[in-house]
Amino acid sequence: MDETSNTALNGPTAFAELCRETWQESVRVEREGITERLHCARDRLAALCEWLVTACEHVFVTLIVEEEGAEWRLTYVFHPPTGGIFAEVVLRFPVSEKHVPSIASTIPAADGHEREAADLFGLIFDGHPRLGAFILHDGWPAHALPMRRGFDIARPLSRRRTGDPAEPSRGLDAPGAFAMPIGPVFSDLAEAAHFRIETLGEDASRIALRFFYKYRAVEKLAEGQPVSRVQLLAERFSGAAAFAHGLAFCQAIEEIAHVTIPPRASVLRAILAELERMRSHAATITGICNSTALAVATSQAAMIEEDLLRLSAVLSGHRYFFGMLKPGGLALDIPDPACREAATRADAIARRLSRLSRLLRQSSSFLDRLEEVGATSDAAALLLGLVGPVARASAVARDIRILFPYAAYAETPPEVPTEPQGDGYARLRVFFREAEESARLIARLAADIPPGPVFLPEVSPRAGTAVGAVEAPLGAAFHFVRLDAGGRVLRYRITTPSFANWPGFQFAAEEFAFQDFPIILATFGLSNAECDR
Amino acid sequence: MTRWVWEGLKSGIRTTRYPAREEQTPGVSPGRPAARSGEEARRNAAAGVCPTDAIRASANGSVVDHRHCIHCFRCVRSDSSAVDWQAGFEWAGETEPERMARRLGRLFRRSLNIRFVDAGACGACMGEVRQIDNPYYNIHRLGFFLTPTPRNADILLVAGPVTRAMRHALRETYEAMPPPKRVVAMGVCALSGGIFGPSAAAGGGVSDVVPVDVMIPGCPPPPLAILHGLLVAVERKPPQPLTSLAEGSAP
Amino acid sequence: MSLTMTPLAAFFVLSAIGAAAALLVPAERNPPVLSAFGAASSAALLFAGAAGLLSGSSPSLTYWHFLPLGALRLGLDPLSSLLVLLTGAIGFPVSIFSGTYLLRYREEYDLGYFGLLYHLFLAAIVFVLVARDVFSFLVAWEAMSVLAYLLVTYENDKSDAAHAGFVMLAMSEAGMILAAGALLLLANGAGSIDFTAIRAAAPHLNPGIRWAVFLLSFAGFAVKAGLVPVNSWLPLAHPVAPTNVSALLSAVMVNLGIYGIVLVNLSLMPLHGTAPGALVLAVGSLSALIGILYATIESELKRLLAHSTIENMGIVTAALGAAMIFLAAGEKLPAALALLAAFYHLTNHSLYKALLFTGTGAAQTGSGTRDLDRMGGLIHRMPMTAIFFLAGVMAIAALPPFNGFVSEWLTLQSILRSTLLASKPLRLLFALSGALLALTAGLAMTCFVKVFAMGFLGLPRSDEAAGAVEAPRAMRSAMALLTAACLLLGILPTYAIPLLDHVVKELGGSSATGALVQPFFLVGPSGGQGLSAQFVRDFHAIGAQVGKGLLPGRGLVILLRGAAQNPVVFAISPTYGVIAFPILLGLTFVVFRLATRGRRVARRAVWVGGLGRLVPALTYTASGFANPVRVVFRAVLRPTVTEHVTEEVSEVFRPMVRREQIETHVVDRFLLGPAASGLRRLAGLLRRMHSGSVNLYASYVLLTLLLAFAIWAGSH
Repeated sequence: MDETSNTALNGPTAFAELCRETWQESVRVEREGITERLHCARDRLAALCEWLVTACEHVFVTLIVEEEGAEWRLTYVFHPPTGGIFAEVVLRFPVSEKHVPSIASTIPAADGHEREAADLFGLIFDGHPRLGAFILHDGWPAHALPMRRGFDIARPLSRRRTGDPAEPSRGLDAPGAFAMPIGPVFSDLAEAAHFRIETLGEDASRIALRFFYKYRAVEKLAEGQPVSRVQLLAERFSGAAAFAHGLAFCQAIEEIAHVTIPPRASVLRAILAELERMRSHAATITGICNSTALAVATSQAAMIEEDLLRLSAVLSGHRYFFGMLKPGGLALDIPDPACREAATRADAIARRLSRLSRLLRQSSSFLDRLEEVGATSDAAALLLGLVGPVARASAVARDIRILFPYAAYAETPPEVPTEPQGDGYARLRVFFREAEESARLIARLAADIPPGPVFLPEVSPRAGTAVGAVEAPLGAAFHFVRLDAGGRVLRYRITTPSFANWPGFQFAAEEFAFQDFPIILATFGLSNAECDR
Repeated sequence: MTRWVWEGLKSGIRTTRYPAREEQTPGVSPGRPAARSGEEARRNAAAGVCPTDAIRASANGSVVDHRHCIHCFRCVRSDSSAVDWQAGFEWAGETEPERMARRLGRLFRRSLNIRFVDAGACGACMGEVRQIDNPYYNIHRLGFFLTPTPRNADILLVAGPVTRAMRHALRETYEAMPPPKRVVAMGVCALSGGIFGPSAAAGGGVSDVVPVDVMIPGCPPPPLAILHGLLVAVERKPPQPLTSLAEGSAP
Repeated sequence: MSLTMTPLAAFFVLSAIGAAAALLVPAERNPPVLSAFGAASSAALLFAGAAGLLSGSSPSLTYWHFLPLGALRLGLDPLSSLLVLLTGAIGFPVSIFSGTYLLRYREEYDLGYFGLLYHLFLAAIVFVLVARDVFSFLVAWEAMSVLAYLLVTYENDKSDAAHAGFVMLAMSEAGMILAAGALLLLANGAGSIDFTAIRAAAPHLNPGIRWAVFLLSFAGFAVKAGLVPVNSWLPLAHPVAPTNVSALLSAVMVNLGIYGIVLVNLSLMPLHGTAPGALVLAVGSLSALIGILYATIESELKRLLAHSTIENMGIVTAALGAAMIFLAAGEKLPAALALLAAFYHLTNHSLYKALLFTGTGAAQTGSGTRDLDRMGGLIHRMPMTAIFFLAGVMAIAALPPFNGFVSEWLTLQSILRSTLLASKPLRLLFALSGALLALTAGLAMTCFVKVFAMGFLGLPRSDEAAGAVEAPRAMRSAMALLTAACLLLGILPTYAIPLLDHVVKELGGSSATGALVQPFFLVGPSGGQGLSAQFVRDFHAIGAQVGKGLLPGRGLVILLRGAAQNPVVFAISPTYGVIAFPILLGLTFVVFRLATRGRRVARRAVWVGGLGRLVPALTYTASGFANPVRVVFRAVLRPTVTEHVTEEVSEVFRPMVRREQIETHVVDRFLLGPAASGLRRLAGLLRRMHSGSVNLYASYVLLTLLLAFAIWAGSH
């Protein structure tokens, strides 16, 4: 799709020109850093967003709702398919007003974002078919809006359970149809989430999801906190991708502070990020093998995962890189020999992965359960705004490391593997290929680590906003940060790959056999902790 | 399929010898801070470098409350440390050791079932608890089995601060288990709420909802620490104190 | 007037008074009046039937000399006595049931009209059974068909009732024409309409005529019996008919189809060759399977029961077919067994089907719905109805200690006798039929587990079901009577078999009692009663004579010996089972309690994965429970699925899919559908001939004349 985009759009100024040409006075364009800001009125919002997505082929990233004094500020973030810049549609209106036109009908990727804003801020997105019962469960008081300014997150609410459990919206209406409930406590070791397999009896027709059992209000907890405290939250809300999310937050802070981190820190960050990607992908592969009850393969993959965890601990002191990052660089230097040693070990692990991949490819009983299971077409992947390996398995070759190069990826770009089929097996192949590519990247990066410090001694950001974009193991992660003059966080908005990809799972899991449910789930490799925040 | 059998055999036995022998392979545990004695340590502890107040000053040095330590390493990576870094993983402790009535008894020392509940854990605790079922750690050799239904479970293993939506589910799981039963909370979030709770969205740990017998500190506790916690729960390992005191302090 | 004819006369008099009273008493008094007269006339039938069966004589009387045709006569033989007895046995509880059930129609419909039809319908049924000549038989048959139609369409303002009634009447009339053809062929051969004369002349008919009689009668009467492929009216008529009428249709009127087949092919006309029997066996087995298949996937309770009637009639017909083959092959004892199985099953089906229909009526009265997908949890609100319904379900699923078990066991046992046949193709046919019947039995279990579980257990799936109230006393007592009958026939088959044997002896020329119910407690160690000495010794060795002095009756054991080349003995005693199973269960319970002494039983809410509360939308529905069957038999059922998206956000984002699945019955698809469209096409062609042009009509006349001339010329 890179080829098809208008070359005139590549330059930010050209985009601004085009925007002015098309929308005349109704849209005011303003530029800040790598962001084009389009201010518009409420009645123009839907048309402008649709224009961005259809005419300019922009990708919807996130919706950021902010309450600034007496005004709402809604920022719809997009980026062009070639990356490099962000286009933000900004809408302001008085706090007393609650109605906003919904854009989800033309941009399904925005569906979850609108539902989230409706639950947490009390906004009403006109035209959205199913608002409510999304993030807040029945344990919350009826009119609690936790993201509103007036809501005090530190004060525990009453523990009384209110009313009946809210029912997730159903997707199948047929005589005798019913739903099989799964979770929130299910399986041996599963994350808390609730699935309803809607069925007429033998085969499953659709899946209704009820998530956010793990909603910890991370974005709200961050408000009013110093950067050092929010850093802890960024690392720990999704421990399996702690480094990626911590990095995205650090990048946002560094951009606000207008600092460039030392080159050594850039390279080390990339090495650790790739190590985390390898480990996360190994975990996903373990999950896929486990879902098909292939015991030896599960064991092999799990041992690879544990070896990578041990390697991470040897390098950073912590198996999940907790405490490793800080704005301005890294908290700990890793000596060059240790990096080279790590690269050697990563390479050995990659070879074990290749071997496992080869053996799996030769196991027909395994392939039977993955091929053509849970397929997502490339059109669906684009429309639903899927990201990361899941999207790449549906031939959508987007990778933040290429689109918005960070750390050392500009100098050492990764190869981005894609597969065309979009089924479970394609996703498995992408996970394998990416893990192997990560090992190669680590080797390239470790071969030439620039000397010097690994952190800037003083990073003191002042008022400003920035988006930190990172390719987390499961896909694109965007951390939007707005700081006040005192360097405290005013608004922290985390857009995670799991949040973006769950609709993909729901879409892929239509008309399937019951026993394929865990397999489809495993091939998406999604994390509820990352999604729920 | 023979290929897989061969592949499995070729890997050999990778399982740790713990608890029969020590396990010292690098990377199995991040280690944790331990209290240090002396006036300097006391002063540094009082300066408050710990973001969760796990490290505090005591009469003759520092004291570390492991129920709050989230492994941010800020104490050891600062210039003025109040703690020593200590390797190892035998971290689990009992909440109320004197409550004999709640013990499972001899019948459960050899084999029992564990029901795991994710009460809002981040992926790290999930990742570590998934490892205990895998060849390196293999809980089955110790007689522990994971069960999907609480009806068969003897131990409730919980991670996460207990979010608002999971509070009732956790309570229900506990009530669905037949007595005798024990509750093991793993990870700092489950012990104290960690950095997420107590708040309007997340609780201050598992003990707010169900009575906890064994606590496994750590953020996240590595697989061996979880193993140790389970062994403590069935009285095959002695419990460790949940706070680390400087030498010479009164307990 | 004999012992038999007096109660019969009393029945007709009571029916007439009942019909007259229905027209005279005010509407609100009508249900109790109907109930009283219906019960009284049914009681008279019970007397008449029982006397007819026990006396063994076949009294008859001439009631009218209709000159052109000769003497019109009424009479009872053992077969008609059995069916009269059954009619009474069903009519009695159903009449009691009607007394309260009919109250629902008080506001909108004419109850006097219903009472009139009800009594006339019963009278017509009995008249068919006692008719001893072709004319009386056909007139009564036609009256019965029309009255059934009027009763089914009683709720005449409903369009589906009109449609169902139309199909029912059309099929019934077509069947009537075929059956009349068969009877007229017989009468023609005998030169008389009197059954006795026909019976005397029938053996001398030529084989072609006999084949024609068989085919016409089987096809014609199969419509009433609801056999495949002429079964379509049953599942249409039952849901629209008032439930008491459904009970009479399924428990009484369909029996007359079997009566017709037996009357013409076993009673009036002797058998000729094994081929007719083979056809009957094949049709019976297929009907059984197809019936239960559609019953299993059905969620509307009355339609489900209608499909199950097809199944049970299929089982009866299969046993009948087996009997016909054995008779033609000269195997008298197996034939007697098979006939006995057929009549036992016929009796049982009437009883438990009436029980299930009254149970459905009670459930509907209490909960306002018959849709299994909307029922659920009724056992908590209607415990008595639930218990009676459970008895009916166990009986129809052939579970001991109820009657269905005995007759299905006998049916399968008689099918296993095929080893006695010499012909390989026939043995193959028996094997296939046995397999189909076994599959049927398995599916019947699935089907009725579904019915009870989805209807009475679990959570109520609608507000009506949640607010159900227990059925009134009259309904419960009707169900109690039928339950008692099902239980007695289930635990005392050794008393029922000799009664049915009167019918069997008459038709098959051999007694089954001697073979089946042997007083082997009384058998000495040397054998006797056809039992070998070795067998008796073995039996005594395992303690079979323990309690010989205490145990009553003829041993209460059904015993079935294999032939010489297959000397296996099958023995069963539901009677002792009823004693032994509770004792065993009780002992198990005691042992278990002793072993787990000191353990406390804790009751907790059902585990639903921490969801907090189980809601009905998360529990199995009847359709869902049966769906595996639907999937396995997809090739037969061929569902057409229509799907539309009710709310669409974009082409790949479908929040709600509405799906409807329609299964056209396999018979309609392959036979009736093409037949109907063929007829329509033919009518279209004929219409084209009528262009209105005079010249064209003139040419038709000319052509016809030329054709006639050519034929005349050719024949001379």
